[in-house]
Amino acid sequence: MIKKIYLLGNPNVGKSVVFSRLTGVQVVSSNYPGTTVGIDSGYLTLKDGRVEVVDLPGTYSLEPSSKAEEVAVSLLKEHPKNEMVVINIVDSTNLERNLLLTIQLIEEGFPVVMCLNMNDEAAHKGVKIDPVKLGGILNVPVVPTCAITGVGIKSLIEKIPDAAQISRKKLSNQERWVEIGNIVETVQTLEHRHHTLRELLEDASVRPISGLLMAGVVIYSAFKLVRFLGESIINKVTDPVFYDLYRPLLETLTQRWHEQGFWFHLLIGDLINGKIDFKQSLGVLTTAPYIEFGMVLPYIISFYLILSLLEDIGYLPRLAVLLDNVLHRLGLHGYAIIPMLLGFGCNVPGILSTRVLESKRERFIASTLISIGVPCVPLQAMIFGLLGAFGGLYVAGVYLVLFSIILILGIILNSAIPGYSPEFLLEIPPYRFPPILVLVKKLYYRVKGFLIEAVPVVLVGVMVINILIYFKLFDYITGFFAPIVHNLFGLPKDAIAALVIGFLRKDVAVGMLMPLGLSAKQLFISAVLLAISFPCVATFFIIWKELGLKSLLKSTAIMIGISIIVGSLLNLLIW
Amino acid sequence: MKKISLAQLKSNHKGKIVEILGGSNLAAKLESMGLYEGKEIAKVSHIGLRGPVVIKAGRSILALGHGVAAKVIVSSE
Repeated sequence: MIKKIYLLGNPNVGKSVVFSRLTGVQVVSSNYPGTTVGIDSGYLTLKDGRVEVVDLPGTYSLEPSSKAEEVAVSLLKEHPKNEMVVINIVDSTNLERNLLLTIQLIEEGFPVVMCLNMNDEAAHKGVKIDPVKLGGILNVPVVPTCAITGVGIKSLIEKIPDAAQISRKKLSNQERWVEIGNIVETVQTLEHRHHTLRELLEDASVRPISGLLMAGVVIYSAFKLVRFLGESIINKVTDPVFYDLYRPLLETLTQRWHEQGFWFHLLIGDLINGKIDFKQSLGVLTTAPYIEFGMVLPYIISFYLILSLLEDIGYLPRLAVLLDNVLHRLGLHGYAIIPMLLGFGCNVPGILSTRVLESKRERFIASTLISIGVPCVPLQAMIFGLLGAFGGLYVAGVYLVLFSIILILGIILNSAIPGYSPEFLLEIPPYRFPPILVLVKKLYYRVKGFLIEAVPVVLVGVMVINILIYFKLFDYITGFFAPIVHNLFGLPKDAIAALVIGFLRKDVAVGMLMPLGLSAKQLFISAVLLAISFPCVATFFIIWKELGLKSLLKSTAIMIGISIIVGSLLNLLIW
Repeated sequence: MKKISLAQLKSNHKGKIVEILGGSNLAAKLESMGLYEGKEIAKVSHIGLRGPVVIKAGRSILALGHGVAAKVIVSSE
């Protein structure tokens, strides 16, 4: 009787894609090792009933050498072997390396079904594997699949009940590799292919000079594309909807309302020159939806589209190799670039994915740097919204300040925290070209995740702010902080409320700063302070959850210190 | 034939792994990724002076931090 099905395999062989196919549960997959940092589970209906399917983090061996591998292996050993099946997912393009784990699984007495995934890609590369022969030698069912298109998944499900425990002599790793060499020799035929353009690009992207050139081009075009796509969505879709449809509708509906009343203040906010101004009115029905759907969402869509493309092509690990030198000085290694890049979308998934880093020290440094120095999409939309009118120099200035903070803070943390930055050891995936449908699906789930997380907070946030303003309760808070903000940062008292609200969500703060009529310098300082000071409440909680209260407090103390130093410095230095 | 570390091997040169220095932990980890004694590899590149080393082993491309690369000894012509 099968009670549990585990998906196990080397990193980046498509476990999560197979998992989604089997259970219908959508999880994010990418073309680099370590996308799955948690444990996902779902259900699959077999003849005897529903069985739980568990997607485990990738591992090279049953003798774990990293935390993620430990998690995978200990979970696997939790359940009685005769009540489970392990679906061993194998990358057909790299059979040899994958077979070590397979042999270990069989030797340990796990009932195994082998899923020869990425079969199409292997064929394309001239690799042919005979599944019948392989199954015969190993004595386990072998099913060729292409999970991304769904080919072979049905036969994989049919073969699950055929998995059985078999006894096999235990070998040393050295002996296993010899055996694997023989097996591969028998079942695999290689068709000789000339170097393809893809392979040339793969190599060029990890060589020093050509690699840095490519990285420059890729990052620059990614940034340009995100802006272009985001602006196009705003100009062609969201702004017309807000200004030509939604505003007239709101104005008609509220014609008879008294402009000074509580409900008008709460829902519509202040009229600017007798009209609703989506950026400044600050009402639950005006500024709140405009900020989320009209300013942030277009960039969320364009950012995640470009990021997903880079992820699925397999470019990010190459960037990690190129940046390893720099990141080592910050106490991290190259792979930390992946959580950081994710943080540019939203800090929360960025900090979650620091789980790919080995030590707690690295995770603390990376999480602190992300929450202080990496601006998320809402924050960036805010920076552009506040400073765009004054020219690109101001916007670039904020990025420059943030980048310098990351470098300086990283170097300080690296020398101040005892420990070392572990060495880099990473498999680099081949370039792959993801089907559009896969990209669109991933984009859809990420955007949906963002909306679920952000929209309620923004609506409630704007509501709370309006109530506080209406009953003049902000005066107490502002009175307390006024000396610091006024004397050190040169900002008016009214900006305090915005900075405080920035803790809730950065994007709400923009609606509060806009109407204050600040000078360019004051806006610049506010934008920088909003970026580095407290992360939004969601980031705050995720650091707490992932790293513990002590790390959160340390991280927060660093943030407050840096905010005060940078705010005062900017106030002194800029004229 | 001379024995040198992966960090010293020149880019675009081939070598055969003869020894992995350092703890058994590192050796086990490399072994499970397919870098075992006797395996033939080719070095693709070396980023900067003390940066990571990229190699091809079988059908895998692997990046090793400088410290790791210095512990993998290969024999090369």
